[in-house]
Amino acid sequence: MGGGDGVLLRRFAYEYGSNPLHLLAALAALLVSAWALAQALGQLEPPGKFVVWFLGAILLHDLLFLPFYAVLGRLAERAFLRGEARSRLRVAALNHLRVPVILSALAFLVWYPDILAKSSEGFENATGLTKDVYLGRWLLLTAVLFAGSALVLALRARRLRGAG
Amino acid sequence: MDDEEARRPPSPPLPRGGPFRRSSWKSPLRGPWLASFLSSALLPLIAICALTGFLSHAAYETDLSGNALFDEGVDFYFFDWPTSPAWLYVATQGLHIITGLAAIPILLAKLWAVIPQLFERPGARSFAHVLDRIALSLLVGGALFVFATGVLNIQIYYPFGFSFVPAHYFGSIVFLAGLALHIVTKLGVMRSAFRERGVVAPLKEDLEHTRPEPPLEGRHTSAPADPAPPTMTRRLLIGTVGAGSVGLAAMGTGQVVGGPLRDLTFLAPRGESAGDGPNDFMVNKTFEAVDIPMEKVGPGWRLRIEGGERPATLTREDLLGMELIEADLPIACVEGWSTTQRWTGVRLTELARLAEIDSPGGLQVRSLQADGPLRQASLNRGQIESPDSMLALMVNGADLSLDHGFPARLMVPALPGVHNTKWVGEMVFS
Repeated sequence: MGGGDGVLLRRFAYEYGSNPLHLLAALAALLVSAWALAQALGQLEPPGKFVVWFLGAILLHDLLFLPFYAVLGRLAERAFLRGEARSRLRVAALNHLRVPVILSALAFLVWYPDILAKSSEGFENATGLTKDVYLGRWLLLTAVLFAGSALVLALRARRLRGAG
Repeated sequence: MDDEEARRPPSPPLPRGGPFRRSSWKSPLRGPWLASFLSSALLPLIAICALTGFLSHAAYETDLSGNALFDEGVDFYFFDWPTSPAWLYVATQGLHIITGLAAIPILLAKLWAVIPQLFERPGARSFAHVLDRIALSLLVGGALFVFATGVLNIQIYYPFGFSFVPAHYFGSIVFLAGLALHIVTKLGVMRSAFRERGVVAPLKEDLEHTRPEPPLEGRHTSAPADPAPPTMTRRLLIGTVGAGSVGLAAMGTGQVVGGPLRDLTFLAPRGESAGDGPNDFMVNKTFEAVDIPMEKVGPGWRLRIEGGERPATLTREDLLGMELIEADLPIACVEGWSTTQRWTGVRLTELARLAEIDSPGGLQVRSLQADGPLRQASLNRGQIESPDSMLALMVNGADLSLDHGFPARLMVPALPGVHNTKWVGEMVFS
């Protein structure tokens, strides 16, 4: 009976917090994950390091990395927009700092093993190439980003000042 | 405490200050639209990255003896990896690395957009909510783990101590299972957010018109409870993330396509040119790194061919005296770089005929390397029979250099680069 089913479904939703399909999907997803985790722990040597890296990735990102850059962002905001009116120029200046910082930091985050020449001996063994060039390139990229952003800000400044 | 909260059963005592207080999340840009927009950019990239990742696993054909680096548990690769087009693995693995790199800034932005929900109170609204949160930790942990190990691997840096291939493989299964449930759970939020705000309309707002996202009816979202005034448009946020994404993708593309685009690699590790001689292209493992004694690759080198009626032992001169073929074939590395060169060598089918082996169904090629899991490779029937599959002796008209596998190396179209075994000493047909 449709009516009976409806009551049952509502009851299920009340007790469980979602519909039965959700429970099926959740169980399937967790089973597959559990299987893959068990395989990884069974096959990887040492298994402890896998756990450390898996949990460490979450903790490092959520409790260290993200709060760190969020606080940094808020400090910059305070420094640029403190006290008197938030003029359009000041807001723009803040953003002309934010964008090159974000892009430069992103490049560093992804390529830091290159930039800091991590495992450079293994790299030279494997490739016959050197990692010595990357620090200079990253600094160049950073310089270009900041200079470009400053240049655009300078070009915009007159108009922004006029607008108040 | 509002009425709704007062009716709830008491939840476990969670801290109430700092990040657990909703009003301490200030950004006016956070909310279901931003999360949904980032997700809709992320999903196709992850879909391509995952598909090409599993295709790469298929290309290694772990069911052929000697190719398996680990036990994948369930073998659902039921097709033989083809040899045509020759650039197939260049394309699949190139896409894997390019989409993976491009996804990184979007993933980080997405995590930023939804971070308040990590601290939401109550921590457990219902049994379903608990399951969602467990799956979310697998999703976030899996994503960070898979992207981190991948990025480290392409820079040949292994601070993690465990073996990369199985860790990346099983980690990605954890990640994708968590992602599947997340999509099922959140598709409704995405639909509502796009219906209420439009898909791209918020990108057109200037700073004066940038407003905090209102909460969605009946949904728990990352929209701020007490937003600060905006200092940035959504357009600028998305634009910055997009610029990062495009920049990383360009660096990856430089490694895959090469040629004039090689300079795009910039910070990616395979942009250097080794010179402009016939052997001056990228190496995956130098001769010096593999510990093969010099005399083994000198005039005393012999190729042993086994598995047939008449095992054969050949010198390099014998091989050079056979009918030689020439083909432009790529070396396409799992790390996402590739380089196409002109190779000269003896067809694999010729070698089988010489040793009187009728239509071999498999071939195991062994290097002179004393150890290393990739010192051997197994080929399927199609790979042996491809007219361009060869034991290469020369490249670009010159003898192979030691770094590129002198006295002889395998070259098979569309085969993952690392299986094009160098310093071949023995071939066993079956």
